[in-house]
Amino acid sequence: MSAPVLEIANLSIWLDTTTGRRQVVDNISFSIEAGDTTGLVGESGCGKTMTALAILGLLPASNTHMRCSFIKVKGRDMLGLDGQQRRQVLGHDIAMVFQQPGTALDPVFTIGQQISSVYRRHIGGSRESANRATLKSLEQTGFDHPEEIVRTYPHQLSGGMKQLAMIAMASICHPAVLIADEPTTALDNTTQALIIKQLQRLRTAHGTAILLISHDLAVIRSLCREVLVMYCGRLLEKTDCTRLFSTPRHPYSAGLISCIPIISPQRPGSINTIPGQVPVSTDLPTGCHFSPRCDRTVDRCQQSVPQFETDGDHQVACFRPLP
Amino acid sequence: MKEISFITRRLLYGIVLVVGVTFISFLLMVYFGPDKTFELIGKNPTSQQIAEVRQSLGYDRPFLLRYVDYLFELGTLDLGLSDTSGEPVESVLARSLPISIALVVPGFILGNLLGLGFALFAAWNRGRWPDKLIMGASVMGMSISFLVIIIVLQVFLCTPYGLNIFPVRGWQVHDFSSYLHYVSVPTLALVLVTLGYNTRFYRAVMVEEIARDHIRTLRAFGASSFEILFRHVLKNSLIPVLTRVMFSVPFVLISGSLLLESFFGIPGIGLVTFNAITSGDQPILKAVVGLTGVLFVMALTLNDLLYGVVDPRVESS
Amino acid sequence: MHSVWQRLKSDHYGMGGLLVVALFALATLTVWTGLFGQGWAEVSGNSWESTSAAHWFGTNLLGQDIFQRTLFGAATAFEVGLVVTGFSTLLGAILGGLSGWYSKGWVDEIILWIKGVLDSIPFYLFAAAVAFALQGRPWAMHLAMIVTFWTTTARIVRGEVIRIRQQEFIEAARAIGLSQLTILFRHVLPNTVHILLVQATIVFVAAIKTEVILSFLGLGIQDGVSWGLMLAESSQEVLAGHFGNFIAASAALFLLLMGFNLLADALQDATDTRGAMT
Repeated sequence: MSAPVLEIANLSIWLDTTTGRRQVVDNISFSIEAGDTTGLVGESGCGKTMTALAILGLLPASNTHMRCSFIKVKGRDMLGLDGQQRRQVLGHDIAMVFQQPGTALDPVFTIGQQISSVYRRHIGGSRESANRATLKSLEQTGFDHPEEIVRTYPHQLSGGMKQLAMIAMASICHPAVLIADEPTTALDNTTQALIIKQLQRLRTAHGTAILLISHDLAVIRSLCREVLVMYCGRLLEKTDCTRLFSTPRHPYSAGLISCIPIISPQRPGSINTIPGQVPVSTDLPTGCHFSPRCDRTVDRCQQSVPQFETDGDHQVACFRPLP
Repeated sequence: MKEISFITRRLLYGIVLVVGVTFISFLLMVYFGPDKTFELIGKNPTSQQIAEVRQSLGYDRPFLLRYVDYLFELGTLDLGLSDTSGEPVESVLARSLPISIALVVPGFILGNLLGLGFALFAAWNRGRWPDKLIMGASVMGMSISFLVIIIVLQVFLCTPYGLNIFPVRGWQVHDFSSYLHYVSVPTLALVLVTLGYNTRFYRAVMVEEIARDHIRTLRAFGASSFEILFRHVLKNSLIPVLTRVMFSVPFVLISGSLLLESFFGIPGIGLVTFNAITSGDQPILKAVVGLTGVLFVMALTLNDLLYGVVDPRVESS
Repeated sequence: MHSVWQRLKSDHYGMGGLLVVALFALATLTVWTGLFGQGWAEVSGNSWESTSAAHWFGTNLLGQDIFQRTLFGAATAFEVGLVVTGFSTLLGAILGGLSGWYSKGWVDEIILWIKGVLDSIPFYLFAAAVAFALQGRPWAMHLAMIVTFWTTTARIVRGEVIRIRQQEFIEAARAIGLSQLTILFRHVLPNTVHILLVQATIVFVAAIKTEVILSFLGLGIQDGVSWGLMLAESSQEVLAGHFGNFIAASAALFLLLMGFNLLADALQDATDTRGAMT
């Protein structure tokens, strides 16, 4: 068992809105080891992206508040670093790929300028060595003619190519941790596969630990060893990916899995849904947030919050988990 | 190929605008302008005398021909004689324009640079006290009339009621120190009157740029505030900034100098225009209005063409 | 509109601005109803009298009461502001609406061309040209401002109409067979009222400031008195050490403009629905 490269303990986030302060992330903890892949799954608005931004220290200070015991990257607590020290970690030890490749790159600089400036910032060296590293990173990310790509501007590339360029930028310093926030959501299926393949390559080639954030269980399943299930700002289940799909223990996870549309000629048009709707975060139910939509709810679920119960590697926050 | 069609489209639109601008100034200044017939002839003229004068003034020519005449005057810079001094209009303009440029350029540059600096500082500290202080001062600046600023500066800097270190009126410029002597107070006035507007406008641009997704990407990759502000935010906001600078050139040059020069008695294009307004000197006015309109359209067209150089996105759209 | 008022009420600077504007509006009403300020032209004292119970702000060169002139100037400012704002907003809404509704069509092209042409002539020159053409008719200044101020309003309305046009309720209105212009004027333009309100306060400020400059240049108010005329008078007086006209007119002008600017900012914040969504 290798050492964890990303550890988060007791992270809570509040968001100020015109209707008052509301909690969007509630006391979550997890860790990822080197070379491991962890999926963070949940419906949109459940706090996944907020968690990712908090790890990098990118939450807007004006309308968010955060409480956290520690966020350690390669054993160093990010919360204890000053601005200069934190900038040395960002992009070097931990990098991020964003959901919207269309807007994540600066439109008035070339792809080459943007990637090589990351290299020069963290590794240093001459302009030529940065350019060589840029070409190499692009080539490894699957571009056939990197010397042409470095001269293009973002708007000249397709969404998938922009996302691949983002991955080349994120991997140029061989970071220990890569956070990928819905990296394939805006892209079509064949491009999705390309992106997943590149993330897999990063893991095997550089031992990069990956935190893959997605609402799409199929994407998570294709890449991740471990899965965290998140609902309304809380973690509900944490387990091995294969086990989650074979024997989910939290009713919400089970519901999510049963909602995956099955492409099967035998069962055309079959699709399941979870009854009810995701509650708005200004008006969360007491106790277990999922209790109003759960068919296994008992009184206790609405009165107190279930904590994680460990059953080997399988953790679940539920009073009446599935067997 | 794309670039050529973009350039021709812009140039064509520029020509269409020039037609409009010159047509309006023709309509207002020449066609509906004052009839000079009776100023030129004595009492109790015969109808034949009236007809002769009208013919010599070109009043009997068809509407469109008179417009074409006006276009020719502007195009060849053969603008006739001033009603008041009898001097050729083009030589009046040639003499006064350099003075106006020398008068407003320092204030114009300072006002924009300071505005840009304050805006960057405010936007970066958005919501905190430096932002509030700068924005509050800007609103106050916007609430003070140009005329009030000029009067206050004149009293405090140019009269015995204040420091009395600068001249009240005039423009006796023969070397750099005398230039500074005469240009300081108008420059200060110009900076004060434009600073509030510039700062607010540039801050809005910066705030929008700082909120963009790619700025978050830069932060996620460890870019410093300095690099984000001065490399990325500034380059991305170059287009709105350049546009504003371009658009305000004729405003500052004409409107700014109109007030500054008439107030400080500086013999630039503004004072010439002011005198033409008060004395009804039509040849001067129609030349100034027509030429500034044309110059403005040229600046606008040049600005749009420059976009293509600055912004890689333009050519594709 | 109700929630706009709620948000406006919680903005202290905005409410302060509204209070100042309301006070000046009240002063204007007293002038219009003939209660105060009627003696602005009377010679009621000697030259350059200092402040006294009879002349609160002193007198000017001719011995006219500066307080009464300042009060009457407020009424002039509102008269200019209301006329210019009303007509230019109306013109901007209609032309901007048509331009946005038929965007990329020939109606739009023509309106954009007119806007482009008007924006190409420096404003004070345009005002001079209009005054020249109208040979000193008293409403030349108003006309010049209306003809040039509508373009900004129209540009903003055009953008908003293009945005609204793509929304679903417009599809629905089309589907039930309403005519183009009915949809535009009954269903689209009413949705731009909040923008028009903000823009109107900005135009009001511009109108008052412009009146001052034009009056100084001799192109402004022809009969009556305005703060601009008072400042024009004072520009010579201050060199002789008489500050009454100047202080009264510039302080009144600053207060009213500041009030309007604060109100405009608060209105902008209160009507900005984008910020309230997240």
